[in-house]
Amino acid sequence: MMAIAILLPVAAGILILAVRNYYARGAVVILTSLILIANSVFFAIKGPFTYTPGGFNWGLLITILDYGILIFYLYIGFSLRNWLVLIFAATQIIPLAYFEFLMKANIQVTPAFVVDHLALVMTLIISIIGSLICIYAIRYMYDHEHHLHLEKSKQSRFLFWLVLFLGAMNGLVFANNLVWLYFFWEVTTLCSFQLISHDRTQEAVHNAARAVWMNSTGGTAFILAIIYLYATQGGSAALSVQNLIGGGIQASVILLPIALLCYTGFTKAAQMPFQSWLLGAMVAPTPVSALLHSSTMVKAGVYLVLRLAPVYAGTYLSIIIAIAGAFTFFATSALAVSQSTGKRVLAYSTIANLGLIIACAGINTPLSIAAAILLIIFHAISKGLLFLCVGTIEHQIWSRDIEDMEGLAAKAPLTTIITAVGILSMFLPPFGMLIGKWIAIEAAYTVPLAAVFFVLASTLTIVFWTKWLGRLLQVLPKIQQPFEKLSPSYSVPLWTLLIGIFVVGIGIGPIYQNFLLAATNNVVSGNQIFALGLNNLILTSASLLQRDILGLFPVWPLYLVLIIALLMPLLLIGLKPTELRQVYMCGEQTGGTDTDEWLAEADKKTRFQLGGYYYQNALGEKRVNPWANTIAILLLAIMIGCGVIVI
Amino acid sequence: MIEQFLVVMVTLVCAPLVGGLLFGIDRKITARMQGRFGPPVIQPFYDFFKLLGKEHIAVSKLQFVWIYGYLVFMIVSLLFLFMKSDFLLLVFLLGFASVSLVLGGFSTKSPYAHFGANRELMQILAYEPILLLLAIGIYAQNGSFLISEIFKQEKPLLFTLWPLFLAVLYVLTIKMRKSPFDIATSHHGHQEIVKGVTTEYSGPYFALFHLAEWYEIILLLGIIALFWTNPLWVGILIALAAFILELFIDNIAARMTVGWMVRLSWSVGLILGILNIAYIYYTKGVS
Repeated sequence: MMAIAILLPVAAGILILAVRNYYARGAVVILTSLILIANSVFFAIKGPFTYTPGGFNWGLLITILDYGILIFYLYIGFSLRNWLVLIFAATQIIPLAYFEFLMKANIQVTPAFVVDHLALVMTLIISIIGSLICIYAIRYMYDHEHHLHLEKSKQSRFLFWLVLFLGAMNGLVFANNLVWLYFFWEVTTLCSFQLISHDRTQEAVHNAARAVWMNSTGGTAFILAIIYLYATQGGSAALSVQNLIGGGIQASVILLPIALLCYTGFTKAAQMPFQSWLLGAMVAPTPVSALLHSSTMVKAGVYLVLRLAPVYAGTYLSIIIAIAGAFTFFATSALAVSQSTGKRVLAYSTIANLGLIIACAGINTPLSIAAAILLIIFHAISKGLLFLCVGTIEHQIWSRDIEDMEGLAAKAPLTTIITAVGILSMFLPPFGMLIGKWIAIEAAYTVPLAAVFFVLASTLTIVFWTKWLGRLLQVLPKIQQPFEKLSPSYSVPLWTLLIGIFVVGIGIGPIYQNFLLAATNNVVSGNQIFALGLNNLILTSASLLQRDILGLFPVWPLYLVLIIALLMPLLLIGLKPTELRQVYMCGEQTGGTDTDEWLAEADKKTRFQLGGYYYQNALGEKRVNPWANTIAILLLAIMIGCGVIVI
Repeated sequence: MIEQFLVVMVTLVCAPLVGGLLFGIDRKITARMQGRFGPPVIQPFYDFFKLLGKEHIAVSKLQFVWIYGYLVFMIVSLLFLFMKSDFLLLVFLLGFASVSLVLGGFSTKSPYAHFGANRELMQILAYEPILLLLAIGIYAQNGSFLISEIFKQEKPLLFTLWPLFLAVLYVLTIKMRKSPFDIATSHHGHQEIVKGVTTEYSGPYFALFHLAEWYEIILLLGIIALFWTNPLWVGILIALAAFILELFIDNIAARMTVGWMVRLSWSVGLILGILNIAYIYYTKGVS
């Protein structure tokens, strides 16, 4: 089973590389996706377990591959003349060699994999949403290459890295051995490099290199944390994640490595000041963005910070993490207002929501941890959907610019409706993201500064989403538009995610009670499997979260309200051609309702154009970035400082 | 259950009656302040039924969808208040209503509606944080977002949350579309870019907009009444006093720019709210 989750994507990836036929390759991807989904659902039904692979020296293999990846970074550093990549590859490879050869470290940890409820939640997200994105990519890459008029197809290569990514992420969330976790961490960085640089334009390669060096600083911190733990806590037991979070070691002694690991999480989750790598990653084909933003890569960052929550609970480090995350939420929401490219708005919104999740981990109460898990789930569904929508829009109008999406409702009504629901689900009640935010604000009162940032950020969130939605839905008077046809490779993932928003959103109560409560307890209590045994613990600690947050208010009546308010008028109210009128233009229009020309100066016919507001002078990147980055760097320095001066 | 059903019915029927009447009083008092006689107090109802009887015309089908969204979510927010439910969720639902109005403006290709919609959006930016901070202030004071908790308290919120009360008065001016903040659209004949966000609404759909505003005024005054719930009639008197105060402000002030409104709200309004919450946090601690 474990082999299916981690190794099947590798095997399938290699098979995909070998298959050159479009349909055969698509079949392999779809089959792999279905097996991965079935496997993750099976895991979820089966419940938590631990596993140690035997029969082969897996540790040795992982060590060899570790060096392989790092040497590859050295190579790209040299070939691109990118000294930052080179330096941070060296700062990983030297300590790693020191750790393994000079310290002669024994890195055997049993169990090698621990699958608890949090890992189950993550693997469901990775396997289901990640697979849907892979299916989407089959057709997308075909259209993409068709549009670029490429002679030699690179679709196989692309799908190979995409599928491999899922395996690496599964490994990452299951791994109990920190050294193995580090390995999977590096594999995800490698995959993201390959995928971002896929188009091989100068910009793509440059941005991919930036992703590598920024994540390599995180990798360096990871290695240092491993060495510190191993050296001071005596041996391989200190490398077990479960031992670390289970209260086996006194928190104040190991706060420095924990701060370093949180730093690593921050780099991968593209928290300020590291946001530029994720923004740069937007040059990649859209399925990459969808994958990086919804189910993989950045979620690895928040997973690590969330996983370590019980270790730093009650320390100043925790409060700083809450404030740093909340600050990122605020600053990037403000920056999103000034963006006119659809994908950049989505990127800033992702960073903002990751900041919110990290802040919830830092607030570190059972309530906030529950909010963090809910937000991870709902963000993955909605953001995955939105990126796929932007990709679909891009392949209809060949632009990512929000201004070019003006009047999309007339050109592609189906895509527009799906996108509109996706956008609404990001920031309005009764959708899941807002329920998560609601709980987060309730939990945030213990760190009032974080609560204030939450309030400001959620208001800015309303502004940039509404602005975009407004551009999308603006239409000239029309009666009815036939829906456009979408390839099943597009429409199946889109519809599945759209339905997912409603199913998970309406079923939030039961899902929470039966599944997420256990995950929350896993995180809050740090599992403590060595003391109690995994299954015991999950039963006993179910009472830990006394407060029944979601029982407080049933969410489904609000969905009913949504239907009455928006869906019923949309379906029931008809509009006859005779009832249509032109918009008010002081009586200066030239024709009927279907024209947007008017008589401008000297009675010259002019098409009137409307544009969105982007508030560049107040919230532009040039204006905000210097301040925001400075504050973010200061917060990071304080965060590491909290680890050094143990308080 | 029956009690809840009654509350829903009373809200649905009585709120617009009182709200419409308040708007009538508004017009009468404003006229008297300007040395005019003014229309009868029930003029808003005459207007409403007149509009209902007008021809159905529109420039886009999406307009209907969003104006219904505005009305329905406004009613649901008001129900949350009267059923003493969660205040934070109420603010978010009110947010949905406001967003619907903005999208109604954006859904046509009309320059005037777009001006109004962009300005309405900036108004949301100006008042939403204050309402959310009020929610946190209530949480700080009572340890719960539930409005029913507020009613259980002996001591009125006004004693501890008076800075937030001042900030909420500012919100009231914006939401009532009164000068100096009648920026997206206004009621009386102030300086006006056509009719702002509602430019493209006419006939029955414009009547729906008015209906939603009647619910809204009751909601806003209700939120102000929450500051003194024991006994409630004091709170209602405070709310009515605030209403009259807004009329005075409307008549002595000129419309200001959008930027000025946002800056004032994000400086003075937020500082009032933040200091208020910080004070409670440090005197009371985490409840």
